[in-house]
Amino acid sequence: MAHNVWKIGGFALITYVLVMVFVVPMGPGLLELRSTEGTFISEEMERPIPEYFLTGFATHWNEAPDQLSVIVRSQSNLVQLQVIEVLDDTHARIGVSLPYSLPSKSWDVLINHPVDGTLLLENGLFLSDRFIDESLALPALAIEEFAADLPFHFPYQPRILETIRNLMLHVPMWFTMFVLMGIAFVASIKQLATSRSMVEDEKAEASVKAGLLFGILGLITCSVWARFTWGAWWVDDPQLNGALVTVLVYSGYIVLRNSIDNAPLRARLSAVYNLFAFIILIILLMVLPRFTESLHPGKGGNPGFNSYDLDSALRAAFYPAVIGWILIGIWMYRVNLRFTRLNKLLK
Amino acid sequence: MDRGNHSAALSSAWSRYVHLTRHAFKMEFRQKNGLAGLVLFAIASVYTCYQVAGSRADVDAWNSLAWVVLLFSAFNAVSKPWPEDSAEMRAYLVHVVKPQEWILARITFFSLLLSALTCIVFVAFTLFLGSEHLNGKQGLSFFLGMQCTSIAMASLLAMIQALAIRANGGFGLIAVLGLPLIIPVILIATRYGMDILNGISFADTAHNLLFLATLSGGFGALGYILFPYLWND
Repeated sequence: MAHNVWKIGGFALITYVLVMVFVVPMGPGLLELRSTEGTFISEEMERPIPEYFLTGFATHWNEAPDQLSVIVRSQSNLVQLQVIEVLDDTHARIGVSLPYSLPSKSWDVLINHPVDGTLLLENGLFLSDRFIDESLALPALAIEEFAADLPFHFPYQPRILETIRNLMLHVPMWFTMFVLMGIAFVASIKQLATSRSMVEDEKAEASVKAGLLFGILGLITCSVWARFTWGAWWVDDPQLNGALVTVLVYSGYIVLRNSIDNAPLRARLSAVYNLFAFIILIILLMVLPRFTESLHPGKGGNPGFNSYDLDSALRAAFYPAVIGWILIGIWMYRVNLRFTRLNKLLK
Repeated sequence: MDRGNHSAALSSAWSRYVHLTRHAFKMEFRQKNGLAGLVLFAIASVYTCYQVAGSRADVDAWNSLAWVVLLFSAFNAVSKPWPEDSAEMRAYLVHVVKPQEWILARITFFSLLLSALTCIVFVAFTLFLGSEHLNGKQGLSFFLGMQCTSIAMASLLAMIQALAIRANGGFGLIAVLGLPLIIPVILIATRYGMDILNGISFADTAHNLLFLATLSGGFGALGYILFPYLWND
């Protein structure tokens, strides 16, 4: 029992992570403020005002429809917009009555709501048909700020939206692959040092096979995520190319193993190749992406999240996910190793 | 060991290395049809590119075709098994040749062979696909990049060829093992070539050549350390 604690721990962590991934709600955000091309008029108004459609993401406007307030901002100028009607939690009709002369064409949209707090959509409103006078100052406006009062949630990220949950399923795959390939690397060095015994060779093989599985899973989750956020199943990105090539290199390792019949020779040759493979893995995934523009977070000017965006809710799921997947990976490697040894005994 | 003996050992190691390299060339020149095959393959691939892309290929196509032709010519050059790799010859050579000197000689041989092949590819390429994207200085920089790439490829492929032949695999195994491993080299090389063709000054993209040199050194060192495990039984 005692020596299986880490397996139970890994299993428990993954269960916890999967529950977190699918149960924790998303934090609120603003998607768009779009013109309906129509106008709106009520009894007390002198002339009709253009009607806009405001779409939120995971917001709770229906819980207090009267207290939703929509403000547009350009530098220090603030203008309150009229909320015509709150349709549901995430949709509202807005009347945009801005004067003809404005200090700017482009406005940030802010909403204030007692449940969601203050949400911001940068450059959410663009008015191209106005007279622009940059020295113009609009009348000052006093607004009341709400602090968000929400239960535990994942942060809203523009363009990533719900797929932020994939963070716990995609990124740990690479960490796990790194660890497993590292185990294989050490085993291969030991194999070359000991030469006669095949123990280390079996370890390297089992570890590479498990690592390759995680690499392929990483590629699949990557592809699905890229389709949503970047618009294509595969994009030209140094990290993606590096990952694919790494998987190809280790597939080459399996091919090499299968093409040699003589066991001691196979152990030696595949160990030699494995050392090359690990060095290339380091170069492809850790060195080259640092010198290239990348779509991945933390590199280049991309809209994704970087390490500063990992908030406490994501941390609470992401770090257990990394540890959990690594433990599961090591478990798989050990099962694989025992399977290889039993197979050998049977032959 | 005193200083005199040490330098004597070093100089004899050097002379053995030079001898092995010269031996490799001698063996290669004995089979003139093999060399002619390499040259023919290189020119034929360039000509195929010319037929496909025409003489007015844009910068992107020009650059990528140049590196792809170089890559496949290099793989073709290393695909031939050496008579020294047969089991009988190895059983003899193990006793007279140090594996480290042997792999260094092989790397040197392949570097020189690929350098020569690169010259042919470059001349044929500018001849058929035109050199309008390159002025004199750019051409020189591009050629320098090709030479560095061919040395990096040689230092990796010498080892991969030995490994594939030891595993009794043919050209297919060299390609399966070598192509993914060579991709970092090709990535750096194409980026360098693109920079040169886009008119970025040599000084601003020369760090790519430094990467290539580092990779060559790394592959060479790995080969030096690991080749004995391939060579001995």
